[in-house]
Amino acid sequence: MIEVRDLQVAYGGRVVARVPELDLRAGECVAVVGESGSGKSTTLLSLLGLTEGADVSGHVRVCGVDVLTATPRELRAIRGARVALVMQSPQAALSPTTRLGVLMRRALRLHGLPSGERVLAEAAEAVMLDPGILRRYPHEISGGQAQRFAIALAIALGAEAILADEPTSALDVTVQAEVVGVLRRLREERGLALLLVSHDLALVSTIADRVLVMRDGTVVESGPAAEVLSRPAHPYTRELLEALP
Amino acid sequence: MTLLRAEDVTLGYGRTPVVHGVTLDLAEGGTGLIGESGSGKTTLARAFLGLLTPMSGNIWYGTQNLRKADRKAFRADVQPVFQAESLDPRMRVGRSIAEALPRSGRHRVPELLEQVGLAPDLATRRPHELSGGQRQRVVIARALAVRPRLLILDEPTSALDVTVQARILDLLAGLDTERLLITHNLAVVERLCRTSHVLFAGRVVESGPTADLLGRPAHPYTLALRDAVPKLGGPPPVARGRAEARPAPSGCPFRLRCPLAAPQCERAPEPREVAGRRVACHRAEDVLAGS
Repeated sequence: MIEVRDLQVAYGGRVVARVPELDLRAGECVAVVGESGSGKSTTLLSLLGLTEGADVSGHVRVCGVDVLTATPRELRAIRGARVALVMQSPQAALSPTTRLGVLMRRALRLHGLPSGERVLAEAAEAVMLDPGILRRYPHEISGGQAQRFAIALAIALGAEAILADEPTSALDVTVQAEVVGVLRRLREERGLALLLVSHDLALVSTIADRVLVMRDGTVVESGPAAEVLSRPAHPYTRELLEALP
Repeated sequence: MTLLRAEDVTLGYGRTPVVHGVTLDLAEGGTGLIGESGSGKTTLARAFLGLLTPMSGNIWYGTQNLRKADRKAFRADVQPVFQAESLDPRMRVGRSIAEALPRSGRHRVPELLEQVGLAPDLATRRPHELSGGQRQRVVIARALAVRPRLLILDEPTSALDVTVQARILDLLAGLDTERLLITHNLAVVERLCRTSHVLFAGRVVESGPTADLLGRPAHPYTLALRDAVPKLGGPPPVARGRAEARPAPSGCPFRLRCPLAAPQCERAPEPREVAGRRVACHRAEDVLAGS
């Protein structure tokens, strides 16, 4: 579904992310971990051609589209509809004066998809939201509900993969557990693929199949999550693990 | 005698109470206040700092009511450490620290910087020239300048990367100053506080030795918190009950979220002693049996 080879992202001649290899298949969860400034968010954004002003080189194939050479139209066809982006605070991206249901319907129409009541209610239920929430405005819902709405939007659009950047970092742990539960269920039931950018190694260890550890723009270690996080080969991975309180 | 004590304290903003009838002592070996956003932990910390006057009840500073206490002595005894963004961006950090010292004590700036693990020559830098972890160390150095007996720490490491957080925790653990730590991070409390209080919707729902509380919770909220925290290589975090239901307006505030809620929970539970801690739950024995 996603295939990256020798990706390099630079701003003004300074390389901020270098990823030799990253693959994401259906139903799989791959995590990119690291500290602030490690290049993990840049890597994620570059997969959808969202690193404006950057020099991007290498090979990035997402759902059969070569992202680095794709036309804006080709990119629009995969963004949202096939690969959805879930950020830390989705509320910031929701129009404050639009009810959630109207917002979802608009997104569906934009992609030429059916947008009846039934479709909306099913998407809400898939993320364990009461469909009644679709009548509310963004400020009337909690952070956890907003995050699940963002995932519901992806489901309604039929996304096959979700790219999530710290999706639960701003949430309380009990709410985080609910959101993570929803993501896990969607993976199992619908074969949804998940690329998770996170600083939380403990969280990553409970859901990721594979993991890439980044530092200062470089992947220092990668492999099966169970392997990397229990027997780290790189001193930096060890340092990260030892730092867990 | 504990340095600070809240006695049946109700706190609020305007006429809206957000902390209801809380009684708690600061214990030796560190005291933790745990809870989610909106649980009232920062409000309680503000009251302990004398920044918020209780709507009812009292905060005791030794034998004096904090309302009438000698503020100068209080400020020398109790110092806050907030997130690192509390430094004046235009001021060199050495001067930020010196401000907290009497004129005759200003030579102590290098010594204070060293105490928090910073090179003394960083004194001439401004906050933006330092990393997040270095800035937090400066904030701690400034709090230590008056040789306080107690630090009130509100989420001191939440904005930091884990490797930086680990070093700040080492620093805090090594100080011989008492501490009241406010955080949502259970692992941080485990590390720094022998005693903990769990707050939910402005009420203390469980208090006791941190190891007992987190090892075998007796309140369903403490249990939900503990099981929601992902553990390295552990099972996926568990969502117990409905995390997003609002606190109940009457009876037990947790009952709308609680998987064990029963008819008796429509009556507010009185805090009682169960298995070496104080817990406000009608079903504490059942929670203990299942945890």
